Order: sequence, then C-alpha cells, then structure tokens
Amino acid sequence: MAAVDMPHVGAGHHAADSHGDPDAMYLKASHGIRSWLFTLDHKRIGLMYLTMVALAFLVGGVFALLVRLELFSRGKTIIDGETYNRFFTLHGAVMVFLFIIPSVPAALGNFFLPIMIGAKDVAFPRLNLLSFYIYLCGVAILLTSIIMGSVDTGWTFYTPYSVQTTNSVISMTLGVFVLGFSSILTGVNFLVTVHSMRAPGCTWGRMPLFVWGMYATALIQILATPVLAITLLLLCAERFFGIGVFDPKLGGDPVLFQHFFWFYSHPAVYIMIVPGMAINSELIATFSRRAIFGQFAIAMSSLGLAILGFLVWGHHLFVAGMSEFATMLFSALTFLVAIPSGVKVFNWTATIYKGSILWASPMLYGMAFIFLFTIGGLTGLFLGTLSVDVHLTDTYFVVAHFHYVMMGGTVIAFLGGLLYWWPKMTGKWHDEFKAKIGFWFVFVGFNTVFIPQFIMGSRGMPRRYYDYLPQFEIFHRVSTVGSWILAIGLFTTAYTLLEALWKGKPAPRNPWGSAGYEWMTDTPPCLANFHKQPVFTRGPYDYHLATAEELSTGWDEVGGEPGSKKD
Amino acid sequence: MIEPNAPPTFQLPEQMSTVSADVDWMYYFIYWTSVVLFVAIVGAMVWWAIKYRERKGHKAEPTGHNLPLEIAWTVAPIFILVFMFHKGFQGYMDMDLAPANAMEIRVNAKQWAWEFVYPNGGSSDELHVPVHQPVKLVMASADVLHSFYVPALRVKRDLVPGMYTSVWFEATHVGHDDIMCAEYCGGRSSGPNGELPYQPSDDPLHPFVAGQATGHWAMHSMLYVETPEDYAKFLKSIGDPCDQYASTGKKCPAEVAAGQGAKLYQSKGCVACHTTTGARLVGPSWKGIWGKTEATDHGPMVVDEQYVRKSILDPNFRVVNGYQAVMPTFLGQISDGEIDEITQYIKSLKE
Amino acid sequence: MQHHFDTPEQQFNASKLGMWVFIATEILMFGGLFCAYAIWRAMEPNIFDQAHHFLNKILGASNTVVLLFSSLTAALAVRSAQVGKRNMTTIYLVTTIVCAGIFLVIKWFEYSHKFHLGLLPGHCFGHPWFSATVQNGQEVGTCLRVHADQTSSMPQWVRAIDESGHEQLLPPRANMFFAIYFCMTGLHALHVIVGMSILVWVLYKNLKGTFSPAYFTPVDLGALYWHLVDLVWIYLFPLLYLVGKPE
Ligand code: HEA
Ligand code: HEA
Ligand code: HEC
Ligand code: CUA
Ligand SMILES: [Cu+2]
Repeated sequence: MAAVDMPHVGAGHHAADSHGDPDAMYLKASHGIRSWLFTLDHKRIGLMYLTMVALAFLVGGVFALLVRLELFSRGKTIIDGETYNRFFTLHGAVMVFLFIIPSVPAALGNFFLPIMIGAKDVAFPRLNLLSFYIYLCGVAILLTSIIMGSVDTGWTFYTPYSVQTTNSVISMTLGVFVLGFSSILTGVNFLVTVHSMRAPGCTWGRMPLFVWGMYATALIQILATPVLAITLLLLCAERFFGIGVFDPKLGGDPVLFQHFFWFYSHPAVYIMIVPGMAINSELIATFSRRAIFGQFAIAMSSLGLAILGFLVWGHHLFVAGMSEFATMLFSALTFLVAIPSGVKVFNWTATIYKGSILWASPMLYGMAFIFLFTIGGLTGLFLGTLSVDVHLTDTYFVVAHFHYVMMGGTVIAFLGGLLYWWPKMTGKWHDEFKAKIGFWFVFVGFNTVFIPQFIMGSRGMPRRYYDYLPQFEIFHRVSTVGSWILAIGLFTTAYTLLEALWKGKPAPRNPWGSAGYEWMTDTPPCLANFHKQPVFTRGPYDYHLATAEELSTGWDEVGGEPGSKKD
Repeated sequence: MIEPNAPPTFQLPEQMSTVSADVDWMYYFIYWTSVVLFVAIVGAMVWWAIKYRERKGHKAEPTGHNLPLEIAWTVAPIFILVFMFHKGFQGYMDMDLAPANAMEIRVNAKQWAWEFVYPNGGSSDELHVPVHQPVKLVMASADVLHSFYVPALRVKRDLVPGMYTSVWFEATHVGHDDIMCAEYCGGRSSGPNGELPYQPSDDPLHPFVAGQATGHWAMHSMLYVETPEDYAKFLKSIGDPCDQYASTGKKCPAEVAAGQGAKLYQSKGCVACHTTTGARLVGPSWKGIWGKTEATDHGPMVVDEQYVRKSILDPNFRVVNGYQAVMPTFLGQISDGEIDEITQYIKSLKE
Repeated sequence: MQHHFDTPEQQFNASKLGMWVFIATEILMFGGLFCAYAIWRAMEPNIFDQAHHFLNKILGASNTVVLLFSSLTAALAVRSAQVGKRNMTTIYLVTTIVCAGIFLVIKWFEYSHKFHLGLLPGHCFGHPWFSATVQNGQEVGTCLRVHADQTSSMPQWVRAIDESGHEQLLPPRANMFFAIYFCMTGLHALHVIVGMSILVWVLYKNLKGTFSPAYFTPVDLGALYWHLVDLVWIYLFPLLYLVGKPE
C-alpha cells in the first residue's frame, strides 16, 4: 500500500497559476531574477535564506579566525586592543543574530516544513517573503554599524558600557531589533502552518520530529523575541534621550538590562539548539533505518525545553548581584533543563541499538552531534552549580561550553542536515568521500579549538581578553592551530556542496533510502510539493510499514550507489 | 574531606581560600559524573554503530517500546541533579555570608584600575591581606561593570555602578595570585590614537605595562597574602606621612608631600594615562607642565594649583588641545589633602 | 482564496490564528514595560505617588471612553461586514478612525503640557522643551545625549502646579516616573497610529467592495488588532493615572 502518491503516479491536477506550473520542478517553474525576488514559494525563499546564512557564517567565521590569530601569542599579534574588542563583538553578534538563529528554521525549515506535513506552502507566503526582506534590512543595518566604526560591547550589549561607547551601538541594536521582527514573523508563520495546513493522515502523532522541533522553536520565538524588542528599544531610548532606565545616576538599574537581555537570550539558546536536535532526530532515524526510540518523548521534550527555557535566564547573573533566593531558584530550574535534553540523547542512542547503520556523511554529523552536544550540555551543569559557577563564570570555560552546544550542536546538525537534504534541494549528488574528509577535519579541528579552552577557563583565564597571562599561552596556541584545521574542514565541506551543483550527477528520488515524507515526492520537488494531495497512512519512520517502492533508493536506475552496499 | 591548600591540578589552579576545597570537590564530582555518562553514551553509540552497521543480510529491528527504561532515564538523573544543586547552593551560601569578624577593605574600580582602601585610610593599587583572617571587600564601580576575580580564591563578584556589592574570603596560606577583571569593561588602543606599540612585559607581577595597556584585559593587579607582621608593615607604609604633620599643626614639607603624591600617582591610577618622563600616552605627560601655558579648547591656561585641582575634579572643563576628553572625574574619590600632594608631585617634576 | 489553501475556512482559520499569535507577541512586548513599571514602583512608591498627580485624570478618562467607544464601533463594523451591509461598515470604520484621531489629539495636549513643565524622562527632566543647559552664560549642551562628546546635563528639581492645583517640588529622581510614562504611552500611541493605518486600509478595501459575507477576514483582523490597542490602554490608564500610594 502506497502511503502517499508516488511522484510518477498521477500528475497535473492544478491549474497553472501566476507563479508557474505547480507540477513543474520548483527551480524551473518560472524564470528570471524577478521570479526569485518576488517568489512566494517557500522552497525558493528557503534557498535565499540559505545563501544569506551561509554568507553570514563565513563572515562570522572569518572574524573568529582573526580573533584566534590575535590570541596566538601574547601581546599584539595582528590587531590592537580596540579592534580586538570589535572583532569578538562582531563575531558573536553575526554568528548569533545573522547566522545561527535564522539558520535552521528559516533556511531548512522553510524548505522542508511544508513538504514534511504534505502542504503546498506555508500559511502566509507573503509574510514569509516579507520576513526575508526584513532579515535583509536587519543585515543592512548591522553592516552599516560595522562601516560606521563598529561596536565593542560584546554581543550582550551590557549597560552602562553600551550607553557610553560608540554611537553605532544604536544601529547595531536597531539591526538586531529588526532581525527579531523577522524571527517573530517566521515563528508565527510556522506555528499557524503546523496547526492548519497538515495533510490528511499527518496527525500530531505522526508529525515528523523535525516539524515538532520547528513548532517548539516557533513557540519560543513568538514568546521571547518581543521582550528582546522592548529591551533594545529601551536601550536606544536610553542612548538617544538618556531616559535613565538602566543608568544608576538617574535612579535606573543596570542589572535590569541583564535581566531583560537574558529573558530573551536564554530562550534564544533553545531557539538555536532545538532545531539542531530536530535535524538530528531525522538523521539518526534515517541512517539507522528504524523509527526513533521514544518518538513521543522526543516530541514532548522539545516542548519541555521550550517551556523550561523561559524559567532559567537568571543563571547568567549568578555573580551580578541578585538575591540569594533568586540565585537558588534559577540554579534549581537550570538543572531541570538537563532532563529533557538527556531524554533526547538517550533516545537517539537507543535508536542506534539494533538498527542498520549507514555510515554516510550526514550520519557522521549525527553521531558527532551526540558526542559534542553531550560535552556541551554536561559542562552546562558545571555552570548551573552555584559554587562552581562563581569560579567559572566569565572565563573561557563558558566560551568553550557555548561553542560546544552552538557550534558542536547546532552547526554540526546544520551541516549534517545540509548534506542530507542537499540532493533533495538541488537534485544533485555530492561527493561523499570529500564530505567525509571534510567531516573529520571539522570534528578534529573543533575539539582542538575548544578542549584547551575548557582547561584554561577552569584555570582562570577570563574571556573577552585581548591579552593574557603567560601561563595561558600554550593553550591559546593549540586552540588557534585547531581553528585552522576546523577552517580547512569547513571550506572542504562548502566546496563539496558547491561542486555538486556543477559537477554532481543527478540524485535519485530517495538516495538515502529514507521513509520520511519529504522523500516521497520528486527530487527536487515540484512547485506544489506533491502532484496530488498526499494522504499519509503511516508514520514518517515506519520502515516496517513502508513499501519497497517507497524505500527504494533509485540508484539502480541512475547507476552507482555511493556510500551504501545494500542489496 | 580534602586538605585545603592543595597545589594546582591540571584543571584547577592552586587553592588559597577556605572555600576552594569545597568548590574543587564539587567541580571534580561533576567532572567524574560527566565522564562516566559521556563514556557510557558515546561508547554505546560508537559500539552499536559499528556492530549494527549496514551490511548484506543485516536488517534493522523495528523499534519497540520500553516504558520502564524511558521512565528510568528520565527519573534517575533527577537524583544526581538534585544533589548537584544542593551542594552547589550550600557552597554558594558559604561564599556569600561573611563572618561577623571579617575585616573590611573598600574596593574602587574604574576603567581600568583597582584601588584598595584599608581600614587605616591608606590605599594601594594592590591588595594585601593577612593570612587566616576573614576579609570582606566592599566594592563600588565609578563607571561601568567590572568583576573582581582571583582564581586561587575561587571568588568572583561583579561591581555595579550605583550599588555596593561585596565578597569575602579567608586566605589559608601566605602567597600571591592575580587579581583580574572578569566583566567586560571596554578598552582602547594604546596611546591617544593607537599609535603606541603594545608589548606585554615578562614581569609576572606586572604582566601588562602600565600606560600602554588600557582595557578590560589589563585591569590586572596582585593579591598578596601576608603574615600578620608583614601586613602590619604594609599598613604602615601606605599611611599618609603628611598625617603626622597635620596633628602637630605644621605644614607638610614639600618633598614629603611630593613623595606621597608619587604614590598616589600609582594608586589612584593616573599612571594609566600620564607619564612622568615626557612620553605621551592617552593624557599629557606631567613632566615639565608646572607653570607652563597649555593651549586648550577654551584658550590658553596656566598650569597652577587651581588648574590642577579643576583638572582632577572636573577634567573636561578645559581639554588640552590634541587630547580627547576621556579623563574620568575623581570627584568624591580623592581628598583635598591628596590633591595637594599630587600637586606637589607635579611641581616636583618641573626639572 | 489563495492557491495553497484547500478551503476558505482553512484560510480564514489560519489568518485568525496568525493574528492571535501576533497579538500575543505584542502583549509580551508591552509586558516587558509593565515589568519595569512594577519594579520601579516597588522601589520608589513615594515618587510615583507624587508624580502621578501631574497626569490629568480627566483627559486620561476621556481618552479611555473614546477608545472604548471606538472598540465598540470596530466590533460593529465586523458585524455589518459579516451580514453584508457595506455602507454601515463604512460608517463604523470611519467612526473608529475618527476616535483614534481624537485620542491622539488629546494625547498631544497632555504631552505638550508635560514638555512645557519640563516633566521629561531622564536627563531632560527639568528642561522644558528639551532646553539647553546654561552655565556661566554659556550653553553647555542640551539634555539630549546625541552629542559626540557625550556632554549632557543632569535632571533638575522641578517646582510646578499639579493637576489638582497643589504646588509640588519633584526631585530629579522623579524623572523615572516620566521615563516609564513616556515609554509606555509613547509605544501605545505608536500602536494607535499603526492600528489607524490598518483600519484606513480596511476602509479602502471596503469602499472598493472587496468584502462579502463570505470574505471579510481583513475587517475581522483589523478590529482584533484595534481591540488589542484598546486593551493595553485599559491597563495603562489606571496604572499610570489612578493608582496612588498604597496606605
Ligand atoms: C545552543 C545553545 C545553548 C544550549 C543548548 C545550552 C545549554 C545549557 N546551558 Fe548554556 N550557554 C549558552 C548556550 C547554550 N547553553 C551561551 C551562548 C552561553 C553564554 C552566553 C554569554 O555569556 O555570552 C551559555 C551560558 C550558560 C550559563 C552561564 C554561565 C556564566 O556565564 O556564568 C549557564 C549556567 O547555568 C549555562 C547552563 C546550561 C545548561 C544547564 C544547559 C542545558 O540545557 C544542557 C542540558 C544537556 C545535558 C545535561 C547533556 C545531556 C544530558 C544527559 C546525558 C542526561 C544525563 C545527565 C545528568 C544526569 C547529569 N549556560
Ligand atoms: C553560532 C555561534 C558561534 C559559532 C559557530 C562560533 C564559531 C567560532 N568561534 Fe565563537 N563566539 C560566539 C558564537 C559562535 N562562535 C559568541 C556568541 C561569542 C561571544 C562573543 C562575546 O563575548 O561577546 C563567541 C566568542 C568566541 C571567542 C572568545 C573571544 C573572547 O572572549 O575574547 C573565541 C575565541 O577563540 C571564538 C572562537 C570561535 C571559533 C574559532 C569558531 C569557529 O568554529 C568558526 C569556524 C568558521 C569558519 C572558519 C568559517 C568557515 C565557513 C564557511 C567556509 C562557510 C561555509 C558554509 C557552509 C558549509 C554552509 N568565539
Ligand atoms: C583615562 C585616562 C586618564 C586618567 C586615569 C587620568 N588622566 Fe589626567 N588627563 C587625561 C587626558 C586625556 C588629559 C588631557 C585632556 C584634558 O585636559 O582633559 C588629562 C589631563 C590632565 C591634567 C592637565 C594636564 C595638562 O597638561 O594640562 C592634569 C593635571 C591631570 N590630567 C591630572 C590627573 C590626575 C591627578 C590623575 C589621577 C588621579 C589623572 N589625571 C588620571 C587622561 C587621564
Ligand atoms: Cu574592568 Cu573588565
Ligand atoms: Cu542560559
């Protein structure tokens, strides 16, 4: 029994509309630059986002490499102190606001969420396009602030320093404010799409875990981002009119800013990691050929993270001057967050047990995610422990912690997701060998960068330091060398993906042999995603219910089958 | 439990305070718990991924359910986490509540220097404390956020403008360690226009050259834990020598006052921006400025008592041409006597 | 119906859900300010009590009535769109928009009175109409901190007659009350303007005859948004104008 209509079954039920023939491949449905700039197709919007976030990642990464290079030796290596402060600020701000927050939801989510619930598009395609242009505005404003002399406050914009230093703080905060708007609109769109656009048979219970993750992320975006918006507006008012909200001289409270900021930014770290986890659930299931163990628990733990994530912001303020009661409460709640995260880690591992594991490049990233996220998460517990955090806060231990979760977690999952869905998005097959080489450089390089940072952090190396004490030099050296290995890996990976575009052979419909809904349609999908309204009769991970036709990779027809030796 | 005063381990620095041992115990407890969990999870993952790799004749088993297992791994961590929370909070309260007999030292921070004011009114830019004596630091910041951090003491606390914060510790043995600023507080290139070469020094007690390094990273100072005798000596040395004249009603001799002014030049942090050698830093050198006529944004000004006084209390009332209005005000942080002494010192630099 | 929906109901439900979610985000945004209000009020109950006498309860109450009435007409506009009475819809929409205008005019009078007395936020407190600070006959910069050299004046004491006719002396610290007052009512006024624009657009569509009993989603959503604007004010009015010091 076919769970959904196969691509070659029945075609052409819709009248062609102004945006092209719904049955034509989405990249060919219409032509010309206008067909991109004014597109309402979620897939094209997803691709445009992808281009932008990849560029942002590159820019953020170049700043990171410069920061690392400067720290290679004591004293001035390449830049002076003032420039250094600007570089790490830009590195953090670009990575967080331009890259990682939009990365998975706006790029991959946009492309796959509607397909994975059998919808033709998101609920509000115009809003979707608008949110992309708002994102571009945000990027433009942020770039202005770089050109205008740039900001040196750290990505946290703490007052009162941010009220005193250069004037481009305003453009930077406005940029982030605008980006927040884009993020809210994406969230609203996804939430409504999931609620009202699911295809028949795509019940909440059968909804793919990637979609669950996007749904939980949308909730956080909607609930937390407005608070960031008001915080940043107050900061601007403070700078423009000196309203005194955060200024102790006028009776305001600088710590209030930190509360506002983290009320957004802590949930925001779950805006970053939940999508990574969502991708990882797809990867582990597909490459183990097996339903995710405890699928319901994984879906619920995403919601759990979304909710608990709102209650722990105070753990960034343990030494900033809060009452004992508040510190106690925030520490206790922080530990609670470990439980839904642990549930996911355990379920992924259990899924591998007795599966049939295909060691393809996306799966390497999937396993690396478990490896690195577990380290990042467990080191979060050191920071949540009050007495230990007093020693570790604002040291490189924190820096290493959040790179393990953000880079080791979300970015690794993002890269895995890119490799996994690249054939679906582009119709082209990449070179698995190069992808794997790239992976090993990334994996080894990443650990070389950040393991020394844990050690120097716990030994007392504060963060945001242009120059440091002699005893830390050796760790900084190793870390910097690691960043070069990491960069080689990332450039190799980027090359592999781009190379597939012009050299890759056509990918078959389901190259990885997945049972997921998104593989049941053409590769690449047609404009309307499916030729006929799909009706789902099994879950997306029900390998035992999927037909042989659905699971067939199609490599026989195309010829050759990289990666797998399946018979 | 663990002996205090443990030397540094691979991960943690030397222990120098009564709370260090407890913090470190907690650190290693979490560390080993994490190692066990990590090895178990990643070990199982890799082992199974190899054992059940895709190959001819091997098929994945459909996923079943195992409710007890799921409940187990949801509930079991709770016990570990509650323990971590509990111990961590206990340790935190120990660090938070200063004993009643603690000796108070005032800490003033500003971009980018520390000042420590002792019970006898003397001050220094390095912190000296007696061993085995609880010390409570009452801290204030003049400008932005800073954070007082001494790794070997395992203490850290933010300084918030407009607010007093405090931290206490009791040093367990004689020795010294670095005091660092752990909350980002900005920074500037060396020299008014960033033209000075920046070179750290190899002196472990002064790793950043005064005057060159102006920024968060260079807000460095030293903590000296001393025997009670050494501490008493130190206190005497920082007492103001002019004080004894005040009590007799005589005027403090110029050389004595200038000598004290030289100390203030260090401890009040003027050294960060002014040299006494003629070299130009963020601010003008003091060498030979006494009696000179300075071109300022409000026309020429003669450097005399009144001008120096104004420059310290309201630095931007006149800004010397070629410099930026970046000098902070010292209003409320410096006494009239001290201004006098600095004035005498500047006078003495006339050549 | 847009092509990617299957049924008009699906489209209507999606749009309505979308608007509700968006309204939730707006409420959260104001929520941040309400928190700040609560914190300061707890910190400075006396100042808040003293300063709130400078808000004109009559004008505030009139504005409340105006907004409540406009909410009613907005709801009636939806009703008449639903039953297809295009002209009635037009009348109700116009009434709503006019009310919004009245609200803004009253607000402007309130604001300018405060500007006149120098009841301004932050550094400008005690500087009527953001006036420059004069020292020794020389201007030393305005209270607005837009100068590159960061010169600015500090808030001043303000002696003025409050709305109940008593002369009061407000300390510089009272700038906090006016900071939160201007932030909250300013952001709200911005929402009034946005709401007005939306309603004007809906009115335009209505005049063009776009709506029918089968399709009136924009009227519905525009009114929904307008209710939000009203709702926020319903909280602002008592919190800022009415609540004095707890005994
Ligand atoms: C993707 C982003 C992300 C994620 C997912 C996390 C996850 C967590 N973080 Fe992290 N964090 C950041 C990003 C993130 N963090 C950033 C950016 C900062 C610094 C910002 C700045 O200052 O610039 C930061 C800082 C930060 C601090 C403040 C440090 C300081 O400045 O003093 C704290 C303190 O509590 C903390 C804790 C935690 C905890 C407990 C988790 C938990 O969610 C982790 C849970 C996961 C696990 C625990 C592992 C898996 C679980 C198991 C294997 C189960 C079994 C476990 C046990 C029984 C122990 N983080
Ligand atoms: C998503 C978040 C993210 C990511 C991915 C990274 C990635 C990296 N970060 Fe960063 N980092 C932050 C977020 C992030 N960082 C934040 C928030 C801060 C705090 C800032 C603050 O204190 O205010 C920080 C701070 C920070 C510091 C501390 C600075 C200080 O305290 O003084 C350091 C130092 O080593 C560092 C290093 C690095 C390095 C070497 C990488 C490397 O992993 C980078 C590798 C990337 C490249 C080399 C680019 C290659 C990319 C391509 C070729 C594009 C290809 C595209 C595709 C394949 C799609 N980061
Ligand atoms: C952050 C840097 C900084 C610090 C710290 C600093 N100054 Fe200055 N100082 C300056 C600058 C810049 C100028 C020149 C601009 C001006 O006149 O305001 C200056 C000018 C002066 C002048 C006038 C010199 C002249 O040539 O006319 C005096 C006197 C002075 N400072 C005294 C002090 C004293 C005393 C201290 C410490 C108690 C101190 N400064 C600390 C930056 C600093
Ligand atoms: Cu002072 Cu950082
Ligand atoms: Cu957090």
